[in-house]
Amino acid sequence: MTQITSRREFIRTLGLGAASLPFILNLPSLGFANQTRRKQRLVIVFSPNGVVPMTFWPDEEGTEFTLKESLKPLEPFKNRMLILHGVCDKVRGDGDNHMRGIGCLLTGIELFPGNIQGGSHTPAGWASGISIDQEIKNFLQADPATRTRFGSLEFGVLVPERADTWTRMVYAGPNKPVSPIDDPYQMFRKLYGRTKDRAALASVLDEVQEDLKKVSQAVSAADRRLLEEHAGFVRQLEQELKADAEAKAGHALPELEPGIREENDNMPRISRMQMDLLVNSFVNDFARIATLQYTNSVGQAKMRWIGVNEGHHELSHEPFSNKEATDKLTRINRWFAEQIAYLAERLASTPEPGGEGTLLDNTLIVWTNELGEGNSHTLDNTPFVMVGNGLDFKMGRSLKLKRVPHNRLLMALAHGFGHRIERFGNPDYCGGGPLNLT
Amino acid sequence: MSDRKSFQSPERLGKPLSMLCLFLAATAVSLSEPVSACAAAQKDGAKIYQASCAKCHGDQGQGTKKYARTLEGDLAVPELTDLIAKTMPEDSPGSLSREEAEAVARYIHDRFYSAVARERNRPARIELARLTVRQTRQVLADLVGTFRGTFKPPQERGLQAAYYSGRRMDRRALALERLDPQVDFDFGTAAPVAEKIEPHEFSIRWNGSVLATDTGEHEFVVRTEHACRLWVNDLKQPLIDAWVKSGNETEYRGSIYLLAGRCYPLRLEFSKSKQGVDDSQKQKEKPPSAPASIRLLWRKPGRVVEVIPQRHLVPAQGPEVFVCSTPFPPDDRSLGWERGTTVSKEWDDATTEAAIQTANYVADHLDELAGVRQVDRRPRPPSGDPAAISFDNKQPSAPNPERVQKLRDFARRFAERAFRRPLSSEWAALVDRQFEGEADPDLAVKRVVLLTLKSPRFWFREIGGENDGYDVAARLSFALWDSLPDAELLRAAGAGELHDPNHLRAQAERMIRDLRATAKLREFLLHWTRADHGLDVSKDPMRFPGFDAAVIADLRTSLELFLDDVLSSDKSDYRRFLLEERVWLNERLAKFYGLALPEGSSGFVPVPMDAEHRAGVLTHPYLMTSFAHAKESSPIHRGVFLARGILGVSLRPPAEAIAPLPADLHPTLTTRERVVLQTQPAQCMSCHGIINPLGFTLEHFDAVGRYRQEDNGKPVDASGSYRTRSGKLVEVRGARQLADFLVKSDEAHAAFIEQMFHHLIQQPVRAYGPETLAELQKSFAAGDFDIRRLAVEIAVRAAPRGHSELGKDKQGG
Repeated sequence: MTQITSRREFIRTLGLGAASLPFILNLPSLGFANQTRRKQRLVIVFSPNGVVPMTFWPDEEGTEFTLKESLKPLEPFKNRMLILHGVCDKVRGDGDNHMRGIGCLLTGIELFPGNIQGGSHTPAGWASGISIDQEIKNFLQADPATRTRFGSLEFGVLVPERADTWTRMVYAGPNKPVSPIDDPYQMFRKLYGRTKDRAALASVLDEVQEDLKKVSQAVSAADRRLLEEHAGFVRQLEQELKADAEAKAGHALPELEPGIREENDNMPRISRMQMDLLVNSFVNDFARIATLQYTNSVGQAKMRWIGVNEGHHELSHEPFSNKEATDKLTRINRWFAEQIAYLAERLASTPEPGGEGTLLDNTLIVWTNELGEGNSHTLDNTPFVMVGNGLDFKMGRSLKLKRVPHNRLLMALAHGFGHRIERFGNPDYCGGGPLNLT
Repeated sequence: MSDRKSFQSPERLGKPLSMLCLFLAATAVSLSEPVSACAAAQKDGAKIYQASCAKCHGDQGQGTKKYARTLEGDLAVPELTDLIAKTMPEDSPGSLSREEAEAVARYIHDRFYSAVARERNRPARIELARLTVRQTRQVLADLVGTFRGTFKPPQERGLQAAYYSGRRMDRRALALERLDPQVDFDFGTAAPVAEKIEPHEFSIRWNGSVLATDTGEHEFVVRTEHACRLWVNDLKQPLIDAWVKSGNETEYRGSIYLLAGRCYPLRLEFSKSKQGVDDSQKQKEKPPSAPASIRLLWRKPGRVVEVIPQRHLVPAQGPEVFVCSTPFPPDDRSLGWERGTTVSKEWDDATTEAAIQTANYVADHLDELAGVRQVDRRPRPPSGDPAAISFDNKQPSAPNPERVQKLRDFARRFAERAFRRPLSSEWAALVDRQFEGEADPDLAVKRVVLLTLKSPRFWFREIGGENDGYDVAARLSFALWDSLPDAELLRAAGAGELHDPNHLRAQAERMIRDLRATAKLREFLLHWTRADHGLDVSKDPMRFPGFDAAVIADLRTSLELFLDDVLSSDKSDYRRFLLEERVWLNERLAKFYGLALPEGSSGFVPVPMDAEHRAGVLTHPYLMTSFAHAKESSPIHRGVFLARGILGVSLRPPAEAIAPLPADLHPTLTTRERVVLQTQPAQCMSCHGIINPLGFTLEHFDAVGRYRQEDNGKPVDASGSYRTRSGKLVEVRGARQLADFLVKSDEAHAAFIEQMFHHLIQQPVRAYGPETLAELQKSFAAGDFDIRRLAVEIAVRAAPRGHSELGKDKQGG
């Protein structure tokens, strides 16, 4: 059963001719409350090296549950959260678990054989399929009603500058990894560079015209005609730039703190800058899909700002019997939860432009990881923590699922956008169809 | 049947050629000297006019005391004929026959009555001109390039190769260094250096530059079963990154816009090994060796994929080149050469885009260009080992205190170099003003770049100048390089040396040896031979099996190699273009033309090919193919090329577009006979009387440039003739006799010189005085027809002269 989402579509369904349209559209009884489809959005956030199950997963199932230490920062959004325990990445094949963990996470399909040797297993290459965020992006971009300037934006935070299986999560297709942009200034240029360029240009055009006047004096009458013609174009350009600036007056550009280097200790600042840009790009409707990748699979951030001096990956190999390491890993994941909370807070405090409610009412954040646990390297119980009401999932719940292949969750994300795919990634893991989360 | 079809649907075969008159129309809007020998009918017109009309209208239609109005208007010849027939001469209207009236009408229309004739008769002057598109790209490359130092490529060709055992390309693993002429290797399962490298695991790095000879999008292709990455121009960002080997792909492609006549840094890496975690210690025995090959190929604009030939590879590396790839509308070529004497909204928009592209490039490379000490911002792992990544990168974030000053200096020098003269105090203040009260000095630089690159002082030649040494320097460098004066030339300008003809000539002689000068002359030669039309030269595959895109591309290369060979030879003798008996062939061409290459040769080599019949560009198979239809030769296209291109005869476009007679409608006729049949009407013969007898002399060469004795079963008749402007009829038979005539022909020399002048200077040669062409002709002959010397001669003659009315106007008011 298709939903009728607009008044015009409703009228079309009634089979009325165009001649009656102006008349019918003026009938107050046919005025739909929401003229346009709501702008649904998805943000997928990645953090590496698994979690500490004891301090991460709520004990309870259902709507009554308690957030443990790792997830505590998300307390304000508890009734807008959906915590999925029991989702497993079942994809096997070439590559070690870290490689498959990130490479199959959003693709749900095996890696190609290749030349990248992991810590164990056979060497592998890139994923052999598209990732779900790109699949949904393509679906949205195919429809003029949901098409946006970029479709999707791929953010990163301190992603090492090398392209290999451990550093890429998003795939535009088989063998087509998409690099995340982890430099906020580069992302700023991508989003607003054109606007900035034109502003800089506008600021010098007066001088250009002055100069033109001066040089025109010095040429012969016959040659002056060419310069006058040229001056006309410059005036035209100035008017275009002015019209441009007026049209954009409502869209304030985000201000970035200048000169933040991409280095370990700036991770918290870069994280915020990227999230601010992300929220801003949603306000301007540049994209409906975003990913945010913290470091990489096997990431080695040293979170000195929360008193952790060891590298993250190194710590994650420690057994859970190591109290100190477990405590630090919990703090690390708590820090990531704080980032999710910041993002959720920014979205919740930003009104939906031209719509009702806030951005968080129309956005789903999915926070995930390449592993269930860092020490065992298991791909079972891969964390999926969701915040926000973008996809009509029933929120405010903690679910304990029974070893569900994560492909079914990926399908549920697509279905949440009305993209009713029957399989995604390796079809062997799609039995039962999309997870029902509504 | 299929024959007819090919003419009915010209898109099928030989598209631009099957409608031969379209071709004429597209290239023939000419304002230069009116038709000379073409106008047998006009002679009568002239006689009648002078006898019956001039006494009132003046001998040039300028009017007389009796009748002051000048004879000009916009009636077409038929209407004008009517008018004359009915009303003229005033004292006895109707006394002229219809034919006489038409002859007069045609004569005055062509001489002075029509708008085109009036435009032509206007005294030529040096006009104010903006940078042409070609100049724009060259200038921007050099403007940014001057901040990076110069690179003199060595004569040697090929790439520096380093072969390493194992996966790491460091000194300890280095097994062999050598010069590889090109990258086209199949190692099989063996090691490239048998005694030093294990066959199952090795890596190779090639370093050097790639020399582009065309401007446009170049596609690079690497073929290998293993990991590879390729950098072109930008050595930080790979153009092709297949360092992760994944799946079954064995071919990788990447495109980049390159400018002709420049070297671009290039690096290629190959790895037959695993990346990531090194587990070789764990392995008990060596794994079997898989087959390995690697090839570096490219596709030049409009050509086919080929292994990058040795002549395009240079075993040394210069700095990155800034390439402005902003699309521009094409320049005005209505006079037969590119010139920048018009502007349009599209052009102005393109200048804005180019300014923004350049400003962003400068911003992205600012510290390097401004000479600020750079710090590597990014942590870089020493290898692919994921555990080795370190985030311990505690470099200070504090801004360099001297940086702002350096950026200011940079901004001033940028404007100065862009304007080709020392910065006026006003402009220096304007630059400084961008920095004042601006917290972000990078933004200030960007503003200066935009301001500079939107300024008329940048886009227009010699504007704001004083016709001083700097203007002379700029004229010289635009003439020979299409670009900015270099440091040495600016120094000479500043020292006042360029007003001394000897110094000026010495500079030109220095500059003519630069790659950019070679590129510009090469482009001229391609224009002179009309090889720059981009015509579709594909042929009927049934008639010419094996004549495919690869053969066509090779033929084109063959022509270019010939032109390059003459151009780069010591004497660079023009006469070789007409007399050369050899043709450059590679294996594929030799096979197609049924020839054998000398033992042990590889790539293209010059070989005698029907040597007693060949005559340089006149019979080069690429041109014979270009000036031909899908199945048959085209004496008309060849004749137009000879008349217009080689002899400088102006031809009017035909009155209407006419398709050639299909061969199968006249199965017993030769090509020559069909052409004669079709062009016999009198209105055709005024031009075809010149075109045909020239084109017929090349009838021994078929539509793919093969020598033939027979056409359609009859012996080829290659006799032809040409009436010189002094009225002498020259009869020739075949290409060699034609070449022997042309090589001594004053008209051919003048045509070559005039075309080169226009290509180099982009102003009408007549604006430099009536004697200029004749003097250049004299010096060309006296200098043994050395084309580089001719280019120098043209450049030094034109350089002292600015646009002509500059001074007059100032005096006038």
